[in-house]
Amino acid sequence: MKARAYATLALLLALVMVGCQTTGGSTALGIMTGTNPEDIRGATTDIDEPEEIELGRAVTSALGSRYTLSRDEPLTRYVALVGNEVALQSDRPDLRYYFGVLDTEEVNAFAAPGGYVFITRGTLRLMRDEATLAAVLGHEIGHVALKHHVNAIKDQKQKAVESGLFKSALRVGSGFIPGVGGAVTSAVVNTPLLDLGMNAAVDLSLKGYSRSQEEEADAAGFKYATRAGYDPAGLRNFLKAAQDSGTQPAKSGFFTKLNSTHPGGAERLKAQDDQLKSAPTGGRRAAPRFEQQVIAKLPAPPGQAGQPAQPATKGTPPTR
Amino acid sequence: MKRTTIAISLLVGLATAALAAETRWVERTKVDIRAGRGSFYDIVETVKRGDQVEVLTTQDKWASVRTPSAKTGWVYEAALKPTPVPPGTSDFLKAAPGDVSTSRTAASQGAKGVYAQNYAKQKGYDYGFVEWVETHQPDGPQIEAFLKDPGDKTGGAK
Repeated sequence: MKARAYATLALLLALVMVGCQTTGGSTALGIMTGTNPEDIRGATTDIDEPEEIELGRAVTSALGSRYTLSRDEPLTRYVALVGNEVALQSDRPDLRYYFGVLDTEEVNAFAAPGGYVFITRGTLRLMRDEATLAAVLGHEIGHVALKHHVNAIKDQKQKAVESGLFKSALRVGSGFIPGVGGAVTSAVVNTPLLDLGMNAAVDLSLKGYSRSQEEEADAAGFKYATRAGYDPAGLRNFLKAAQDSGTQPAKSGFFTKLNSTHPGGAERLKAQDDQLKSAPTGGRRAAPRFEQQVIAKLPAPPGQAGQPAQPATKGTPPTR
Repeated sequence: MKRTTIAISLLVGLATAALAAETRWVERTKVDIRAGRGSFYDIVETVKRGDQVEVLTTQDKWASVRTPSAKTGWVYEAALKPTPVPPGTSDFLKAAPGDVSTSRTAASQGAKGVYAQNYAKQKGYDYGFVEWVETHQPDGPQIEAFLKDPGDKTGGAK
């Protein structure tokens, strides 16, 4: 009889253990282990650098569903060299940054959390020197260095925790819930909170930032590129070129506030002019190298005689 | 006499160097110690929150440190604290299978970005996009050479 009781108990324990592995812990186990809800709340909303990088990878993969990545290695390397030079002067020079070129004529640029930065071929086409490229990359690096994504995602996570999504996170997996069941599962399970973070990061990166965040990134881009020794007029020159070109910048990413019909464009230009008044004069433009590495190699824009059509943007660009 | 003087000088020098090394504690959940003052240099070792390192010298906000396993490399000063930090990790690192590194070789080592890969799979995205970007970046020496070249002359292709 005793043996049967032990066997039953063992079976029950085994079932609980299986439940732990597959679900990563249940609410019942959480109660059993006396997990402090306050501890859980704080832990689930915190985002450290490794998690930020993972969010950046998710955003980058989402970007890949909308755009074709240029596999031009020399062009990618050149953009990355300029980007790294600017990033060294940023507020997070210790973060590893990755740079890529999107094979589209759309005029845009993107930053994802964790240091993933992208610029489109259409944006490069509007530039005439390296100082301009440095400034635009500096703007995107600014979003990362100032943790615009991280802060927004933390807010969303906190709201989700407070609104009760936290409970479903416990049911689905313990990946980001410490203390529940005493251990975390080794199974790879994306929790709702992680997916929420990834969705929020994708939204922010692709649909655009708040006006104040754009202004902060402009100021950061100006500062970083200037510190790197570039002509401080780079960003102003680019904003002006974009407006003068007659192209219709996308209402997302870099140009959330620079659509020709959007009042933000003029404000950004004025802010750059104001900054230039107190900026050191001079600075290199490295136009010959930019000419050689970018302008000379860019395929002719679509529609020009004898030139093949450019790869189109995948799907519909996100709108705000 | 000369030998004695040299020996004493050496001892004094070593003692001074030992005294000069300051202890710092790692404040972030995970920090890569790198071969140079930049995030693009190879990783010498990875230290974790609460680990103790000896600062040998500092330059431009980067500290040259000796790790508990006696390896030396550079780390950004902001990642260190002058007072002891209790060991600990983040929820993410607890759950992450294997290492989630900022290393430029992260993508090629496999088992990296596994959560993002899951996410991409769920959404039907191509994770190869991420892998290509992570594996096609310039390395430390290439960036060093670029930094020395103002790029104002033609023919300076990198």
